[in-house]
Amino acid sequence: MADDGLLDEGTETAALNEVVAAEHAAVWGYGTVGAALPEDARGPAAAAEVAHRDARDRLVALLESRGADPVPRRAGYSLPFPVLSVVDAATLAVVLEEGVSAAWVRLLDQAVESAVRELAVEELGAAEVRAVGWRTSAGRIPVTDAFPGLPR
Amino acid sequence: MPPVLVPVPAGSTRRAFLAGSAGLALLVAGCTAGSADAPAVSTEEADRLAGQVAVQEAVVAAYAAATTADPALALSDLAAQATEQLDRLRAAAPSSTASSTASSTASSTASPAASSSAPAVPPAGADVRTWLREQVAGAASAHARACAGQTGARAALLGSIAAGLRGHEAALA
Repeated sequence: MADDGLLDEGTETAALNEVVAAEHAAVWGYGTVGAALPEDARGPAAAAEVAHRDARDRLVALLESRGADPVPRRAGYSLPFPVLSVVDAATLAVVLEEGVSAAWVRLLDQAVESAVRELAVEELGAAEVRAVGWRTSAGRIPVTDAFPGLPR
Repeated sequence: MPPVLVPVPAGSTRRAFLAGSAGLALLVAGCTAGSADAPAVSTEEADRLAGQVAVQEAVVAAYAAATTADPALALSDLAAQATEQLDRLRAAAPSSTASSTASSTASSTASPAASSSAPAVPPAGADVRTWLREQVAGAASAHARACAGQTGARAALLGSIAAGLRGHEAALA
């Protein structure tokens, strides 16, 4: 929450920008995920990339409508681990979805408008559904998370 | 050196996230919202959160009923997570004593499993997995709607649980 414990449009806008930053990273990261998958298995990665791009663009439009400056995409990113196999690719996708989920939950914590919370909870659910698919591909057990996006 | 691709919010390490979100940290720690350090919450918000306890109780009951009806479904991981979610909701809901507290406020957001007219067990001849998935989906939607009416840490908790149940729904598909 804000330093004084109160929520206002400023806390919400800052959290919206944190989600934009996470979505930028996810869009970039899914390029790597897709490249590490066989051509006939790239569908879910392509769909996820589109979903994250759409979410990012929606948030950017929302921020701009408020007169706020959306954070730009970084010039480059480093992978958290080498992506050398299909399992690595799925594991990276899990990292991406879980990172985005953390940003959406942070937004839920900071938001003041119910419409923003509705957007956040919808996108958070979509991220977790994708994460379930990737955890399955990565051989992770369990494939579900009781509290997506919440700090452990 | 380019930034590491870990798309958590900028500056939001786990420690920073906890430190910067006192209410959320309380929920993570399992403190009750009625404790001295808990953030203020309106009566309406508290009632709504208590209402979601009933919704989640119905999810836990649905997992138990599905396991009884079809033990081969191997639902132990999902059922355990549903129980964790219920425990966290109870800890966060002031004066929550389960469904007795929740009945009136749950009605507007209740899942099929929480509705008094819905079956508490899979109908005879029904596909148990499909029935369970419907119960979970209804609860996820109920939590998501309730999330929009909450603020701060309670919104975060309800939203996270709603998303977790969306994941269950996917796993049961």
